[in-house]
Amino acid sequence: MTLEAEVWNDITPIPQDDGPDPLAPIAYNPEYAKAMGYFRAVAQKDERSERALDLTEQIIEHNPAHYTIWRYRQQILFFLNKNLYEELDFVDEQIKYNPKNYQLWHHRQIIVEKLMDVSRELPFINNVLNDDAKNYHAWTYRQWVIKTFNLWEGELEFIDKYLDKDVRNNSAWNQRYFAIFFNPNKPTDDFLAQEINYVIEKIKLAPNNISPWNYIKGVIAKSDKDIDILEGLCKEVEEQKIISPHALGCLVDIHESRARNGSATDKAEGIKICITLAEKHDTIRKNYWEYRKVTLASI
Amino acid sequence: MLECSTTPPKNEFDRSKHITYLKRGLTLLSRQYEISKERRKTWIDWIYAQQILPNEKNPEINEKICGFRGSPFSGLPFDVNGSRESRLPFDAANLAMTYTALTSLLILGDDLSRVNRFSIINSLKYLQKDDGSFTHTYQGMESDMRFLYCAVVVSYILNDFSGIDVEKAIEYIKNSQSYDYGIGQGPGEESHGGSTYCAISSLYILNKLDIGLLSKEQTLFWLISRQETGFQGRANKPPDTCYSFWIGAALKILNKFELIDYEQNHDFLLQTQSKFGGFSKWVNYFPDVMHTYFGIAGFSLMNEPGFLELDPAINISKKAKENLFKNCKFHKQN
Repeated sequence: MTLEAEVWNDITPIPQDDGPDPLAPIAYNPEYAKAMGYFRAVAQKDERSERALDLTEQIIEHNPAHYTIWRYRQQILFFLNKNLYEELDFVDEQIKYNPKNYQLWHHRQIIVEKLMDVSRELPFINNVLNDDAKNYHAWTYRQWVIKTFNLWEGELEFIDKYLDKDVRNNSAWNQRYFAIFFNPNKPTDDFLAQEINYVIEKIKLAPNNISPWNYIKGVIAKSDKDIDILEGLCKEVEEQKIISPHALGCLVDIHESRARNGSATDKAEGIKICITLAEKHDTIRKNYWEYRKVTLASI
Repeated sequence: MLECSTTPPKNEFDRSKHITYLKRGLTLLSRQYEISKERRKTWIDWIYAQQILPNEKNPEINEKICGFRGSPFSGLPFDVNGSRESRLPFDAANLAMTYTALTSLLILGDDLSRVNRFSIINSLKYLQKDDGSFTHTYQGMESDMRFLYCAVVVSYILNDFSGIDVEKAIEYIKNSQSYDYGIGQGPGEESHGGSTYCAISSLYILNKLDIGLLSKEQTLFWLISRQETGFQGRANKPPDTCYSFWIGAALKILNKFELIDYEQNHDFLLQTQSKFGGFSKWVNYFPDVMHTYFGIAGFSLMNEPGFLELDPAINISKKAKENLFKNCKFHKQN
């Protein structure tokens, strides 16, 4: 897209004045610099017109992170009463090239807030997550959509699908926690007991996957249960001759908590596991496990 | 994956190539020169030219937008004294840029005498949201842990925390702690190395680590678990050069940096070193200025020879930070 001279002949562009010796100057694309020149001139007059709207599109194509331009665009869109569904089409298209651009996601949020129509949002987010199931922006936006439009129902089933595809997707585990504990309907103890069993099954699929280990501790902390209940699982992993530093680390936590309640055998057992982790099974964290060993020994 | 080099990386820190690479970034040219005093002055002036100051006749006109712009995008004529007006309805300072301007001025040896402390601190009140987080700019769309950190460091450098509702800020940090005791950009969000760094640094500067971290030991476990060879930013993601800083600096603040595996971190960083100078995010990827900075910062955190020591919370060298206490009036008076 280029700037058509006849559309702009009444406007004198205002150039950027970088000064005589700018610090880290940017080699702007000439088309971009020209468009910004027109932007300064029309924005100064607070012009909200079709041509100004086109101009924002051109600038965004060069520099989608230009939040000032996005704000100008929003004002023009609302002032001209533009069809905001077409604007969603525009974002659909742009996000393909810039899925990690903060401004695009926030722009989408502002348009949807104005429309108060959420029908396109979950399919849109799912498309982005299909390309990158760990896109932080997409999950953040999904949480906003769910909270704002009360779309809690079905979220756990949605996450199940993601965890079936990739049980190591930590973003999906985080979303699971969000779907349960940020939901205005608080989970019952029965529900949490079922949830713990669900996670135990996922851990058994891949005992070296840290995400469900972290998650299950989070769920236990919110339930009427204690970390002790994971001892059986840790032993089961061990019996299958699978070396999982996470199972061993979990045992250290269990023994430490019992040692704090006065158990000398747990203290000794915990120290023993710390030594195995430091020397054999999690050597990159050698110093950390030695630190845990010292902590245990001082109880 | 974009591959730009298949030759094995050099097995030591390639100082001269990185200097050349970074100078190219500063000047767009590969001219070789020392950064002279005169040149520093023109750069300092350029930074001050981005400052939005209160309007003398009517301070209310622009009190919400004071601070530093990141560039002269508004089209006002270049003026080393900054600007007291704005012709664009969207003109405003940006909190991340105010942070960058102040730290860059300290690095360049400036005494901050031309910084308008009152107007910047006053503008912070318009940037903090009810939930305690900060936006980057007046009426900005984004608010999260990144800008909360910027607000805290700016207040620290200017030695005035009256622009921040500290209690609300602490609440925001507490609410953003996840079930795994890492910290996300906001409540409910996934733990992330960048936001965890921002939160821990902010708490440290506010002297609230003890009440702000729900469990220091569990957060330590989250941080230390991020080491794979180098460090990852989230669980089950590949290691990336910049997290040697984000995670490393957070550990340094907690006085637990010595628990990492130095050798593996060192080796990973060298693998992301480009043969043309600079560092990339991943092995065999294009270098960029940001990852080059964080690669160098990663080496500095390990106290390797030839690097200045870093202040992990402010994210400038300790030498540059000394300038703040020796020469800056905001701190000298106290």
